[in-house]
Amino acid sequence: MDEILDGISQIDCDVLVIGGGTAGPMAALKAKRKNPEANVVLLDKANVKRSGAIAMGMDGLNNTIIPGHATPEQYTKEITIANDGIVDQAPIYRYAQGCYEIIQELDSFGIRFQKDQNGEYDVKKVHHIGTYVLPMPNGDTVKKALYRQLRKARINISNRYMATRLLTGEGRIAGAICVNTRTAEFLVVRAKAVVMCLGAAGRLGLPTSGYMYGTYENPTNTGEGYSMAYHAGADLANLECYQINPLIKDYNGPACAYVAGPMGGYTANAEGERFIECDYWSGQMMQEFYDELQSGKGPVYLKLNHLAEETVAEIERVLHIVERPTRGHFHKNRGTDYRKQMIEMHISEIGFCSGHSASGVFVDENARTSVQGLYAAGDMANVPHNYMLGAFTNGAFAGLDAVDFIKDVDFAKFDHGDVEAERNRVLAPTKRDDGIPPNQIEFKTRRLVNDYLQPPKVTAKMETAQRRFAEVRDDMQNAMYVQNAHELMRSLEASTIMDCAEMAASASLYRTESRWGLYHNRVEYEKDDENWFCHTLLKKGENGLPESRKQDVKPYIVEIEDDEKDAYDKQRVQPTEAAE
Amino acid sequence: MNAIFEDFDDIKDLADALDDPDAGARIVAVMDLADSADPDAIPYIAKAITDADEGVRLKAAQALTDFDGPETSAALIVALKDSSERVREAAAISLTELKDPKAGTPLLDCLNDDDEFVIVAAFGGLKELRRPEALGPAINALVSPSVAIRGAAVSVIGWLQDENALPALMSATTDQSSDVRRVAVAALGFSKNERSEQTLISALEDENWQVREASAETLPKTGGANAANPLMTALDDEYWQVRLKAARSLAALKIEEAADKIGSMITTQIPNLRKECSAALGELAVPGTEKYLIDFVDDGDPDVRKNVRWALEKIAQKAS
Amino acid sequence: MPLAQTQTSVPVVVDDDLCIADKGCTVCVDVCPLDVLRIKDMAEGPKSKTAFMQYDECWYCMPCEADCPTGAVTVNIPYLLK
Repeated sequence: MDEILDGISQIDCDVLVIGGGTAGPMAALKAKRKNPEANVVLLDKANVKRSGAIAMGMDGLNNTIIPGHATPEQYTKEITIANDGIVDQAPIYRYAQGCYEIIQELDSFGIRFQKDQNGEYDVKKVHHIGTYVLPMPNGDTVKKALYRQLRKARINISNRYMATRLLTGEGRIAGAICVNTRTAEFLVVRAKAVVMCLGAAGRLGLPTSGYMYGTYENPTNTGEGYSMAYHAGADLANLECYQINPLIKDYNGPACAYVAGPMGGYTANAEGERFIECDYWSGQMMQEFYDELQSGKGPVYLKLNHLAEETVAEIERVLHIVERPTRGHFHKNRGTDYRKQMIEMHISEIGFCSGHSASGVFVDENARTSVQGLYAAGDMANVPHNYMLGAFTNGAFAGLDAVDFIKDVDFAKFDHGDVEAERNRVLAPTKRDDGIPPNQIEFKTRRLVNDYLQPPKVTAKMETAQRRFAEVRDDMQNAMYVQNAHELMRSLEASTIMDCAEMAASASLYRTESRWGLYHNRVEYEKDDENWFCHTLLKKGENGLPESRKQDVKPYIVEIEDDEKDAYDKQRVQPTEAAE
Repeated sequence: MNAIFEDFDDIKDLADALDDPDAGARIVAVMDLADSADPDAIPYIAKAITDADEGVRLKAAQALTDFDGPETSAALIVALKDSSERVREAAAISLTELKDPKAGTPLLDCLNDDDEFVIVAAFGGLKELRRPEALGPAINALVSPSVAIRGAAVSVIGWLQDENALPALMSATTDQSSDVRRVAVAALGFSKNERSEQTLISALEDENWQVREASAETLPKTGGANAANPLMTALDDEYWQVRLKAARSLAALKIEEAADKIGSMITTQIPNLRKECSAALGELAVPGTEKYLIDFVDDGDPDVRKNVRWALEKIAQKAS
Repeated sequence: MPLAQTQTSVPVVVDDDLCIADKGCTVCVDVCPLDVLRIKDMAEGPKSKTAFMQYDECWYCMPCEADCPTGAVTVNIPYLLK
């Protein structure tokens, strides 16, 4: 089983989409529909039917901009404020303008959004200001509906192939090197454009349960996109702005304030009272969460037991069917009932994800990275507060632009030595007689992430992490041992996780201020707008180590008034219309 | 070397396994046909709908969600009469996933069926498809002795947003079933008609709190010229959920006379209600109502104190 | 360094009587995002093959259970976080 075979083959395509979760299928579909002659390949290390963050579905859209409920200007302004101003607004604004069309398209695929008794979109207010949340009562069918569209469009789907490195040449993208996760056979894909949709780095920190796969994000999302972009020489932005989320303790699934909130549920402390001051899902909110956990008023709970039976039953129906359906099993095991008691919450391990923060592979409003012909969309690209609809919409933008890009270019020439070197790197753990298995390499890396990188961030601890990472990396490169193709996939993931851990440490040390609440809380430094109101861009340096530089925030498209900025500093944003 | 890409197999080849003597093999064949997403597969899956084995029929009913059009709905209608409840339920769910309006034609023919389950499922599919021809049968179905049929029918009427259906919707707000009443009340939201508003006002006195809540929430949509006093009365409802919606609706309708009463409600122990009442006071911004808010500037609940401060600012702006 | 075998209880359970892997079904194996399920040969009993959890690397996300056409798969919460 999972026997390692020797083999290598090569294919050519116009557009290679890596990652078949959320953004990827949409990128592939849009590219193919715009140019039906184009050869579009969609590759996934799992099976496109059920891969990525929404493998089991999604309970709703968190960030819809639907005419009559919100405007692109209002949304852009709010996301700018929520990210402490460090955003290029162009991609946010374009998303805000384009997402309604994508909602309608998803609707036509058979994905249902909650509608009122007149059949109109039933948008809910969760943020204090705008109205953005649209529940999805049959959100468990999202992947199935996407897969159906891919098959109808006759997209070439390649399952169980994991991309390990991008190929570049002539100063642009040339393709990717991939390995089969069941046989270890290699596949070299020459491509005129590559769209990376590889999701978050969700297996970076270790969950408090100690179960390596009990992560907040789907643990299959190990951050391969960040790692591959890095090795291909692309810029990565603001990686010090980690993702940390509130969750149901131990279960590590989302608490779903977005579902429960509009129905009257909320996050409370042990006294049953709300404590979150911040109006936005942001690092500031997570800092308040963290402080409450540390204070005498913790732990923190999801409170629904004040609601009517009818309301709780409705919340349960949604939460237990969609996104993380084993949640019902979990509560049953524990004997917890939303009606009777509050449900203990906690905060997640750290990760990279633009879904909830402004970090990731740097892209513009066309989803272009800093490497020509290379695109990124979804949780790995740095368009902030993407969530699922952002992945779909920006995936669409990437596919549309990529299929234009290929019109005028041929395959870039690359150095075949790169393929040979990558084969040697990948297969090294198969050439040993014994050694350290990948799960131990991974566990140790992630344990060090928790010990030394988790906020509050301390310089000496992060430097210690760098030294210890170097030791583990040395073991990984010289002593890791795998017995079959499945373990080989895990060894490649361990390598990705190590890359992300090192980038997290390096990026965090570079920004010598505190910003984004808990996400980049460096206890030795205050917030410093004078020196640090900028992006930080990290890329692979000449010496093979991460190098960071500053980059100006582009002039805003939607101006933010001074009093609005102040309001954010005070964490008391003045609602333009009152909350519901 | 393994195959690099997923296959696009010939449908006929895949369908051959539907004749396998083993039910498990036939289930696998149905799944393969569904994965093809090729409309040529529909007749074969339709055949599997009448398979001798319950598991095959169940998978076929589920698999039809991958297809659309009248052939698909016709096959699902067959499954609605299956001897197995699981197959029937699966077919009913699959019917709600249809998107092609043409798929509604066979469903329209089912509305005279004598089986309650079939009619409810047909209305369920027709609602999503918004076929106007469903309006007449749905109106007629409102007098059905079956609660399930009346509930399904009232939903269809609401989605069609046809003024001609208003009398039917209005009468449905006095249905025996509170579920039917609740849907009918919320469905009146599209109408700016004064009689609709009167109907909603009557529903504020419904015996079921969720109907009252729906009515309080829907009233501003119909215009609300006459709704002020009834909504003020609803501020005394025994359910805080109803009081909350009434307060917000009064504010949305700019009923300034309600400000004092809403202000006096802020002393409630229920944080959600304190929060919404303070928001409503801010929206109304009636000078003199600061007195209700001032004690809650430092409320223990952050959402309440934010709304209180915001409301005070709005009132101050209005005064200056 | 030499390797040891360590026992672990796995969360996904397959009812061999219901599993139709012997008829060519591989749905649960296909849909697992972490690729932890496999089909194995059965030494005895009426079935020649069945699905099982080969690797304890589970996100308890449930496509295997939801997509199984015969209801043979059950996803439990992993013991460490149950």
